Amino acid sequence: MVSPHGVQLATHLISSFYGDLCSKVCECLLRRGTLTLAQIIRFTELSRENVINCLRVLIHQNCVQAFAIQQEGAFGEAPRVITQYMALFDNMIHKMRAPKFMQIVSEELGKDVGSSDVDVVRESFNRLLIARFIERCPAPEPFLAPPADGETPAKKRAAKSAKIGEERQTTEQRALAAAAPMESMRFLMEMDGLSEEKSEECTNSVTVGEKRKQDVLKSDEDVLNADKKKEVLWRVNFEELVRRLRHKACISYVKTRINDEAAIVLSAMLELSRHSETRQKAENSAYLSINAIYDEVIKKEGGLGMDFERIRVSLEQLGCQCLETGIDESYSIDIKGIIETSQTEEMESVVLRRYGREAYRIFRLLSKAGRFLETDKISDTTFVEKKDTTKILYKLWKDDYLHMEKVMTSGAKQSLFLLWRINKEPLREHVLDEMYHAALNLRLRIAHEQDKGKEVLQLPREKLVGELEKRYKLLGKVRVILESSLMNLDEAIMLFHDF
Amino acid sequence: MSRPRVNPTLKRKRPETDSPDLVDAERAILNSIKSRKDLGIWARDIKQDTKLADHVVNKSLKSLLTKNLIKEVVNIQNKGKKHYMAVEFEPSKEISGGEWYVDGNLDKELINVLKQLCFRFLRTQKVATLEGVCNELKKNRVVTFDISNQQVSEILNSMVLDNDLIEVKSTGLGDYHSIPIGTICYRIASAAGVAKGPRMGAFASIPCGACPRISLCMPNGVISPTTCVYYTKWLNIDF
Repeated sequence: MVSPHGVQLATHLISSFYGDLCSKVCECLLRRGTLTLAQIIRFTELSRENVINCLRVLIHQNCVQAFAIQQEGAFGEAPRVITQYMALFDNMIHKMRAPKFMQIVSEELGKDVGSSDVDVVRESFNRLLIARFIERCPAPEPFLAPPADGETPAKKRAAKSAKIGEERQTTEQRALAAAAPMESMRFLMEMDGLSEEKSEECTNSVTVGEKRKQDVLKSDEDVLNADKKKEVLWRVNFEELVRRLRHKACISYVKTRINDEAAIVLSAMLELSRHSETRQKAENSAYLSINAIYDEVIKKEGGLGMDFERIRVSLEQLGCQCLETGIDESYSIDIKGIIETSQTEEMESVVLRRYGREAYRIFRLLSKAGRFLETDKISDTTFVEKKDTTKILYKLWKDDYLHMEKVMTSGAKQSLFLLWRINKEPLREHVLDEMYHAALNLRLRIAHEQDKGKEVLQLPREKLVGELEKRYKLLGKVRVILESSLMNLDEAIMLFHDF
Repeated sequence: MSRPRVNPTLKRKRPETDSPDLVDAERAILNSIKSRKDLGIWARDIKQDTKLADHVVNKSLKSLLTKNLIKEVVNIQNKGKKHYMAVEFEPSKEISGGEWYVDGNLDKELINVLKQLCFRFLRTQKVATLEGVCNELKKNRVVTFDISNQQVSEILNSMVLDNDLIEVKSTGLGDYHSIPIGTICYRIASAAGVAKGPRMGAFASIPCGACPRISLCMPNGVISPTTCVYYTKWLNIDF
């Protein structure tokens, strides 16, 4: 399930882009999970027509996935097929990342001059496809086959009620898997012309800032209609764009933490292993030979002068795993390790800022220890006064940054010991939720500042003199601060959620 | 039967308080204090232990202090309460706080001086082992008393927690060529060799990251992003 502020942020984004009605439907699905049309109508208290229209928009914008599932008939009735709808939270949050995604595309493929010539558009489309920035859309309403035959209805019901939560999760994952095109087809272009079959998202990522509105909306009824010609629809491949951002983040981290040369070597390794990354969050790169790494490094900016020895030093600094088989020398990088270290540093930075230097030391001690530590032990190791240590630990615990347990020793004299530890996974989720909260706050403040200054912003250029000009410039400055902060914060959000 | 030798250090008892119970009381209290050895005992615990009246205990304590049989010590767990100990014992780490505590407070000056020395040494050395740092401190003689290796290790660890230093294992190559492989060493945290301290993360750079009230903040609440004073202050910064 999505965290509370994650739901609020997603709902706010949908509202900004597609209106309040869509955001109501979206919020309903995010809070309550996968639902049928009837359930959505009941919970949102919107009319059937409104809900259907909203679902169409959300499906078209890849924010909702529909799927058909067999439901057992009650009281001896035959089983029937029902349609359920699930929210795609990640894709909703991606809405605020369009500029970032477009920047990646323009860095790799260059900026389009905005030509509407069919051949130019087709050429751009091909380049996007080769780079895997676009992919075939998933099936609009895949059918999930019922569980294997042979089980008695009673057994099925018992199993179902025993682990209803687990089953829901599996159903959604099954739906996504069933909807996704086969890997061999995913980036395959149809040979029989496609200029009229592009969806809204496709070529816009090259033409920076332009949105071409194409009417390829499909209603649920149309989807179910087997007679209708099956058109190929395309959409942005978020997986590839997120992978690029993940690599960028790792390289940037290594550049500041180690040095430029290590960053160049890492960049070369990630480039080489990119195509073999089958999982969204690959933990280790493939094993790459030193020769392949060298060939890639010298192509990079600043890498031309590097020799094998310097590359080996960088590989050592990166903590690469080395595999020597005879004359071959191969290396693999632990990408997951870099991501986790970045996450830890981000959390430590918040603790330092919010609770102070002593709390920072305490937090780092507990983070490194990975187990329970007693108050006095923490105080001694971090050189924090004993009375202050308890105060700081309580504050961190109250704000859900630490886990605490009390231990009472029995005997002649009863003593109470307090034990503290960091539980990494719950803490990560908690910090991520706070970041969603902060992102929402930034967006609300941006809207508020724009609204406050709308009179000045709407004035023609010539009227902006004296005080008004000052005010106009200040509004511009404020907007830049807020928007750039939001973009930076979004990188941290991706670090915790997508990378 | 000879009378027991009167201890010349004992003061002459005043006639009005001259009762056998008081001497017994002092003895009982002294025994109670001695039984706690280096942990010491709080006045109220003495009263509970000996079951004597308050005024008797208080007077006896004063008397024992004057006779130099007991001493007052500071218990860092509870600085407000008076703690007593027999003179022959030294306060244990539990109540004194350890080697880094003086009169119940952390000796921050000493700690900072040692940290500065270590940092300066590592700036010149690029990388050093614990032994190397200890030898340098002994050579330096800025501190007039002996610092144990354990204490230096504690200082270095705290600098690692502050992110001024990083702890690494020697690879035997490059900067580590003179250090056996696998030995724990220390170096300055940042790549440039000058500790800039921990980097400010993206979340920490905005008011929400530093805000102690984030859990109470909501769009239309008393604390909200549109009315937030931290935001207002932050956005009014002149570059």
